[in-house]
Amino acid sequence: MAGKTKFIFAGLLIVAAVAYLIISNTGSTAHYFLTVEELQAQGDRVAGRNVTVSGAVLGDTIVYDPSVPRVTFTVVEVPGDPEEVEQAGGLAKVLHDAVNDATAPRLEVVYEDVKPDLLQDEAQAIMRGQLGADGHFHADEVLLKCPTRYEEDVPEQVEES
Amino acid sequence: MLAEIGSILTGLALAVALYAAGAAFWSIHRSDSRWAQSARNGVYAATGLLGVAFLLLLAAFLNDQFQIKYVAEHSSRALPLYLKASAVWAGQEGSLLLWSFLQALFTALVVRSSGGGSPLKGDAARRPYWATVFLSLITAFFTGVTLFLSNPFAQMATVPADGQGMNPLLRHPGMIFHPPAMYLGYVGLAVPFAFALAALVTRQVDDWPTVTRRWTLAAWLFLGIGLLLGMRWSYDVLGWGGYWGWDPVENAGLMPWLTATALLHATVMQEQRGGFRWWNLLLVVLSFELVMFGTFTTRSGMIQSVHAFARSDLGLYFLAAIIVTLVGSVALIVKRRSLLADPRPPAEILSRDGMFLLTLILFLTITGSVFIGSVLPTLTNVISDQSFEAGTEWFDRVTGPQFGLLLLLMGVCPLLGQAAAALKRLRARGWPALIGALLVPGAAALSGLTQPISLVAFALVGLAGATTLAEYIRDTAARSRSRKENPLLSLWQLFGRNRRKYGGYLVHTGIILMGLGIIGTRMYSFDTLATLSPGESVDVKGYTLTYEDFAQESVADHMNTTASLSVSRNGKYLTTLQPSIDQYPAFVDQTASIPALRARLREDLYIILAGWDQNGTVVTFKVFINSLASFLWVGGLIFLVGGAVALWPATQGARLPVPEARRRTIRTTVGVAVGSLVLLAAVMAMWGTGTGGRAGEQGGAEAAGRPRVGQAAPDFTLDLLDGSTLSLADLDGKVTVINFWATWCAPCEDELPDFQAVWNEYQEQNVGFIGIAIQEAAEQAEVEEMVSRIGITYPIGMDSDEAIFPTYGVTGVPETFVVDAEGNVAYTHVGPASADELRAELDSLFE
Repeated sequence: MAGKTKFIFAGLLIVAAVAYLIISNTGSTAHYFLTVEELQAQGDRVAGRNVTVSGAVLGDTIVYDPSVPRVTFTVVEVPGDPEEVEQAGGLAKVLHDAVNDATAPRLEVVYEDVKPDLLQDEAQAIMRGQLGADGHFHADEVLLKCPTRYEEDVPEQVEES
Repeated sequence: MLAEIGSILTGLALAVALYAAGAAFWSIHRSDSRWAQSARNGVYAATGLLGVAFLLLLAAFLNDQFQIKYVAEHSSRALPLYLKASAVWAGQEGSLLLWSFLQALFTALVVRSSGGGSPLKGDAARRPYWATVFLSLITAFFTGVTLFLSNPFAQMATVPADGQGMNPLLRHPGMIFHPPAMYLGYVGLAVPFAFALAALVTRQVDDWPTVTRRWTLAAWLFLGIGLLLGMRWSYDVLGWGGYWGWDPVENAGLMPWLTATALLHATVMQEQRGGFRWWNLLLVVLSFELVMFGTFTTRSGMIQSVHAFARSDLGLYFLAAIIVTLVGSVALIVKRRSLLADPRPPAEILSRDGMFLLTLILFLTITGSVFIGSVLPTLTNVISDQSFEAGTEWFDRVTGPQFGLLLLLMGVCPLLGQAAAALKRLRARGWPALIGALLVPGAAALSGLTQPISLVAFALVGLAGATTLAEYIRDTAARSRSRKENPLLSLWQLFGRNRRKYGGYLVHTGIILMGLGIIGTRMYSFDTLATLSPGESVDVKGYTLTYEDFAQESVADHMNTTASLSVSRNGKYLTTLQPSIDQYPAFVDQTASIPALRARLREDLYIILAGWDQNGTVVTFKVFINSLASFLWVGGLIFLVGGAVALWPATQGARLPVPEARRRTIRTTVGVAVGSLVLLAAVMAMWGTGTGGRAGEQGGAEAAGRPRVGQAAPDFTLDLLDGSTLSLADLDGKVTVINFWATWCAPCEDELPDFQAVWNEYQEQNVGFIGIAIQEAAEQAEVEEMVSRIGITYPIGMDSDEAIFPTYGVTGVPETFVVDAEGNVAYTHVGPASADELRAELDSLFE
C-alpha cells in the first residue's frame, strides 16, 4: 500500500505543478480576448495591456511601407461569440457584412513588420498587441484567416514578432 | 455521370459497412461462421466501393470535371498533373472520402490478418469479430458524414469554364504528403481502440495491446511523419521563420500523437508484466477521442479565435460521436473493472516500472496542458466571463518544463532495473549520463549559447543522449565479446534481433536531437529587418549580406519577384541567397513568400523578401538566424528510421511450411517496399526540391550583368598606355584591384591618389592593380596627362573598343572590383572607394 501512496503523491505533485504553471501563465502571458467594440469600451483600462482583438479587414485601408516596414489597416467589429457568428449566417457572411457596414465600430491597426501574405479585404485578422494612447492598436503579432475560399487547409498564417 | 456514380458508390459503401457491422454482430450472437464470412465479405466490399469512389474523384480531378463543385473549388486547368492529383484531399469533402476509404481499408486488413477462425469457439475467438463490429461502425460513420454532410460529388447548376485553382500556399511537396500521413495515423488509432472495446466486451483484456501493437506503432509513425511534414511546410512556405506556432490545428494533431506515444510505452508494461491495464485502456480511448475532438474543434468553429475552418454542422455530429463513444467506453471499463487489477503494482518510484508510470503521467499532463491551452478562450469565458487566449509563450512556458522532465526520465529510465537493484545500477551505469549532461551544455556554451535555462535543457539533452548511446555501446560490446564478433556486425545483429528495443532507442536518439533543435530555435532565434539599396551591405550576426540584384518575371498564373543577396562571412564568400515573393492576382492578390535558406549545423540563415519599391532601388529583407534548426530535421529523420525499424516484422519462426514461408517472404517484401517508398517520399518532401529558393550559380548565365561577389571575375586583355598588353590571367594567384575610371569623372580623380597610396603600401605583397580608363582612343593624351599628374605607377590601360567594361556590368565610373587570389570577385564598389576601405579589404584577403 505504501507503494501506491507514493505514486499518488508523486502524481499529485506533478499535476499540482502543472496546474500552477497553467494558472500562473494564464495570468501573465495569456491575452485578454476582446472584440473591437469591447476594446474601445474598455478604453484606458486596457491601454498598454496585452490584448487580442479580432476584426474584419477593410481592404482599401491597407497601406504598406516596405522601407520601415510598417502596415497600417482598419478593422471592423465582428462578434466574438461563435454562436452569434453562426446565427448571423457564418463567418464569411459576418465578415462581408461587417466591411459593408459604415456604422460598425472600427479600429486602426499599426503593425510594424512585413505585410502578411493573407492580409486582404474581408479577411479576419486576430491581432495581439496593445491599444496605444493615440487610439491606434499596435499589433505585435497578426494572425489572419481568409474565409472566402480554401479555408480548409490554410487556416492562418502566423507572423511572429 | 461520374458524379452520380460516385455518390451511389458512397451510398452503397455506407449500406455495406452497416451490413458488415450487423453481420459480424449476428455471427457472434448466433455463433454462426457463415455470417462471419459474410461480414468479412461486407468489409471487403465496402473497401472496394470506397476505393472506386475515391478513384472516380481522382479521375474527376485529372479530367477537369468542373461541374463537380469540389473539383471546381480546388483545381484548375493550368494546375500540373501531380497537384491535380493531390488536390483530391486539399479540402474537407475529399479528405473525408479519403478518411472513409482508409478506415475501410484498415478494417479489411484487420479482418484479413485475424484470419478465418471460427467465431463459435469461445470469447478469444469472438474478439476480432467484435472489433470488426466497432471498426465497421466507425467506417459507416465517416462514410455517412461524407455522403450526407460533405459530399465531394455534389454538382453545380452551371459548369464553370475553369476551376478556382489550388491555393498557392498548398503547392508544396510537404503539403501533398502531409494530409494522407495524418489520416493514416488517425485511421490507424481506431484499430487499437476497437480491439480494446472488443477485449472489454469479451473479457479478454490480457493481450489486446500486444495484438494491436503494430497498428498502434504504424499509426503513431504516420502521425509523426505528418507532423514533421507539416512543420517543414510551415518553415518552407509560410515564411515566418518558424515551424510550430501552437495553433489549434497543430495541437489537434499533436495531442493524439502524445497519447499514442504513451500508449506504446504502457503496452510494453502490460506485455512484460501484465500490469498497467487501466492505463492502456485510458490511453487508447483518449487517443481515439482526441482524433475525433481535433476534427470536431476545427470544423465546429468552437475554437473560433484562431481558426478558419468553415463552421459546419459537421462538428455537431462529431461531438455526438465523441459523447457516444466516450460514454460507451467508460461504461464498459467500469463494468469490467474487476478484470483490470494490476497483479504487481510498481512499488518504488526509483525503478523501471515506477519511471514508466511517471512517464505516462507526464504524457497525460502535457496532453492536458495542450488541451487546456487550445480551449482557453472558451474555458475562461465560461469560468470568468472574460476571454483569455494562450499564445506561443503560454505554451512554451507551460509545456517546456514538462518536456524537460520527460527528457530526464528518458535519460534515467534505461539505467534502472527492478526496484531492489535500481540504486546500485544507477551508480554503476550513471557516469556516461553525467558526462553527457556536462558535455552538451559545455559545447553549447562554447559556441555562444549561454542562457542559463537553455543550459539546463542542454544538460538534460546530454544526459538522455549519453544514456542512449551508452546502451548501444554496452550491448554491442557485450555481444561482440561473448560471440567474438566484429562490433559493427554485433550492432547490426542487435538491431536485427530486438528491433523493438533498439528501434525504440533510435526513436529516443531522434527525439533528443530534435530537442536540441527545439531548444536552439525557441531560445536563441534572432530576427531583424534590413532595408538596402543595390550594392549596399548589412552585417547580421557575423554575416555580411550585400543586396546584388532584383528581378521580376511573370510565370504562369503569378508574378515572381526575386532579390539576390550575396552572403559572406569575414570577407569570405559563402553563397548567394534569392528570397522571392509570388503574387497571385487570381487569388485576391494573395502573395506567397518563398524564403531563401542557408542551413548549417550551427544555425540557419533564413531570409524573406519583405518589400520593395517599383524598380528594386530599395528593398527590405527580413533576416532570421535560427540556431540549431538543422537538428530538428536530422532528428526527425532518425526518429522516422527508428520507428520504421521498430515496425519491421521480426524474422521469427524458422519452421514454417514452405508455402507459408514463401507467402510471408512476399508479404514482407511488399511491406518493406511500400514502407521504404513512404519514407523516401517523406524524406524527399522535406529535403528535396522544396521551395527553399536557394541559389549559388557561378558565372556563365550571369555574364551579362555585374559579376557577383563569389563569382569568377571575367578575364580580359587590356592595351596598356606603354603599348604592351596585360591580361587578368597574368595576375593569377594575386589579389587584384580593378578600377574603372575616366578623366572627365571628378570622383575618379579624387579616388586615384588613394589607389596610388595603397599601391605604394602593398605592391611588395602579392597584389596587382589595374586601372581601366573607359575612353575613346583619341583621348589617350588626356589619360596620360592625368596619370603623370597624379603619379600613378600601377598599370593603366584604355578600354577604347568597349570590350571589357560590359563584361563587368559597369554602368558608370568609378567602379572597382577586388578579385581574390582564386580569381573570384571578393568586393565591389559602385562609386568611389577610399584608401581605408581598400586596405581593409586587401588585409582580409591576405588572412
